[in-house]
Amino acid sequence: MTALDNTPAIPTEGALAGLKVLDLMWVVAGPTATRAMADFGATVVRVESANRIETARGIGPYHNNGQGPDHSGLFGNMNINKLGLSLNLGTEEGRAVLLDLIKWCDVLTESFSPRAMRAWGMDYDSLKEIKPELIMLSTCLFGQEGPLSRVAGFGTMGAAIGGYIALAGNPGGSPIGPYSAYTDYLSPRFALPTILAALDHRDRTGEGIYIDQAQAESSLHFMSTALLDYHVNGRVPQLVGNADPDMAPHGCYAAAGDDDWVAIAVRDDGDWANLCSAMGTGELTCDDRFSDLASRQANEDELNGIVSSWAAQHGAVEIEYMLQAFGVPAHAVSNSSAAAQDPQMKHRGHFVAMEHPEHGTTTFEAAKGQMTETPPSYRSVAPSIGRDNDLVLRDILGYDDEQIANLAIADALT
Amino acid sequence: MLLTPYRVLDLTDQRGMLAGQILSDLGADVIAIEPPEGSPARAVGPFAGDDPGPDRSLFWWAYARNKRGITCNLDHPDGQALVRQLAADADFVLESSDPGAMTARGLGYRDLSAEHDALIYTSISAFGQNGPKAGYQATDLILMAAGGPLILSGGAGEAPVRVSVPQAWSHASGEAAIATMVALRARSNIGRGQYIDISAQQSVAAATMSANLAASIGAAETARVAGGMAVGPFTGKLIWEVADGYISLTFLFGSGIGPFSQRLFNWMYDEGECSLEDRDLDWIGLGAEFISGARPLSDWARLMEVVGEFLKQRSRDELFAEAQSRSLLIVPATTVDEVANSEQFEAREFWREHEMPGWPGPVRFPGPFVKLSDNEIEYRRRAPTLGEHNAEVYAELGLDQDALSDLRERGVI
Repeated sequence: MTALDNTPAIPTEGALAGLKVLDLMWVVAGPTATRAMADFGATVVRVESANRIETARGIGPYHNNGQGPDHSGLFGNMNINKLGLSLNLGTEEGRAVLLDLIKWCDVLTESFSPRAMRAWGMDYDSLKEIKPELIMLSTCLFGQEGPLSRVAGFGTMGAAIGGYIALAGNPGGSPIGPYSAYTDYLSPRFALPTILAALDHRDRTGEGIYIDQAQAESSLHFMSTALLDYHVNGRVPQLVGNADPDMAPHGCYAAAGDDDWVAIAVRDDGDWANLCSAMGTGELTCDDRFSDLASRQANEDELNGIVSSWAAQHGAVEIEYMLQAFGVPAHAVSNSSAAAQDPQMKHRGHFVAMEHPEHGTTTFEAAKGQMTETPPSYRSVAPSIGRDNDLVLRDILGYDDEQIANLAIADALT
Repeated sequence: MLLTPYRVLDLTDQRGMLAGQILSDLGADVIAIEPPEGSPARAVGPFAGDDPGPDRSLFWWAYARNKRGITCNLDHPDGQALVRQLAADADFVLESSDPGAMTARGLGYRDLSAEHDALIYTSISAFGQNGPKAGYQATDLILMAAGGPLILSGGAGEAPVRVSVPQAWSHASGEAAIATMVALRARSNIGRGQYIDISAQQSVAAATMSANLAASIGAAETARVAGGMAVGPFTGKLIWEVADGYISLTFLFGSGIGPFSQRLFNWMYDEGECSLEDRDLDWIGLGAEFISGARPLSDWARLMEVVGEFLKQRSRDELFAEAQSRSLLIVPATTVDEVANSEQFEAREFWREHEMPGWPGPVRFPGPFVKLSDNEIEYRRRAPTLGEHNAEVYAELGLDQDALSDLRERGVI
């Protein structure tokens, strides 16, 4: 899938056309939420500063393995469709621009540590005096209050203190955790529906609202059952590798190839019989050691040995096709190259290519939701720092040449 | 509450229940529709007292909160007619059955929107409603493999490892809640509802943090690092062993993280555990020194060892306390019991309680996912028992007790 139009502009179409968002968030959790709004037609002004380079700009994957603030595929993916404004909030003039943008926007989102907005007199209580209908999201690891509210942190730390690290790892080993900043992937799923619900409520009542999101708290809703299991049954999850209480065999098996793995999940005796047929070991179906879930779990090492030696003789994708043809849940464990070639991801248009001024082309992920009436649009690649200063200051705020020149002199636009 | 005016018909099972719950927590009137024998989600463990039963599934307890519950046999023509009647007054329909199943029952988007074009209808499925893998069999592990997060988690050369609490369907449900709310706003712009198709495979891809783009943008594959992540040529360690367990320390250079590393080395120097030269490194520009070759990459490995030695001699509490006074990027890696007993969550009065039928004493649930200045999230209903709101909801369709008895006898509800 290729999107060709690549000119930063104020969008006029889409599900959220007309919605104005001022985005002071950074890295992953916040920008994920505002990107979804931008995809569906909101005008999102993303404020950055060259004085403190956004961390995501330094995180890979890097276009053509290169280095530089516009090489990060992560930053590129999180920030397409947004307008980039560089603003030095350390200057009074820079903060004055910010205030003008707050007056302009419907939604203000920020992920500073709790003190910052207060120190600038831009906390919600102050802002609602000048703009009662404002919708404001503050999102950080621990929320705006409580003994840990001043602890700065990334989603990697959210994953640690939110209990996720201790949920992935092999028996007897050290915790491994899910990949990187796990709570950053979860918290937008709660922040964004809340913002959109608050907008709908505002349109009906004229009332604004302040949303205080502790990413660590939101994320606990993805592990509610484990928390209940502790409260109700007193159980603390142990490191179990890929073992599952209701399925065996259940795991990742090395396939032929370099770091090629296939995931296989046998849900019941029917799946087991089908797996045996696919492996050409039909006689194992009625083998007492494996005839039901309990016996398969009791003999899981032996079982995994059998599946492993079979899997090692075939390619991961070959196994996936073979087992799915037998109705057994299986899939190659996809890396980025497999994902790019995955016929399903292609069919869904998951990866979108667009011309890029520096890299020739770039690729980002499509919006997650496929909508029949208001599809997303892909209008521009992620901004370089300050790329859209003119558009924002002139077209949105109506500043003239002199005002803009004065901002530059005051070092407000860096 | 924010979504009080809206009604949701929630036809999902364990593959989509979080979507309706996000809307119900925000105040929507969500009616969960189960088959007469109970939702398959009621068979999902763990169970209260480890004793399986329809009202003892902790999964059901967790994800049916704030919903009303009715039964309806979607495979019975009269049951299908009831859903069509209910849908006529609903703003949203959510469903997570196998692709094509709802259409086969006459309950697909076209069927329900034909005379109600304001309806927003969201389908959640493993691989999406169409495409070569739309018919694939899937579980949590399979989806984490297919969408990309799994290959990134685990030791180098070892089998990838998943999070043991299933995650994939929650990712999909979260995306469904987002898209459904986008469609609500679109409805006020375009004057009609629409159909939304959510793929769990695509949804879990968010958990790769864009590592799934590497091949497409000419970058090397992201190496699998146990308890860490690769940042370009650097191995970033995220989980560190300390005297009494594990912590997360974000340790890197650059303008975002470098100042934190500088403060860590200031502390280490004060304690006599690093050299003056290491303390006075340019923690912001260090990355460039490595990239240009001015400093050998082996020096990064050495610095990580210096930090590792320092941490090993200290306890989690000591490190966390010092992190707060010195502003360092350190938190303890907690286990579920520690999360449940955390002072922070307690201080924010995060937890909520419900009395659950058949269980002595109140049960504690994770509290509101956000705090709101007004129209706060309320825990107004525990998860419903089977058919708990049949009389109340079906009365709205004009069905009296006799009619309900008749439907019950015929296996419709």
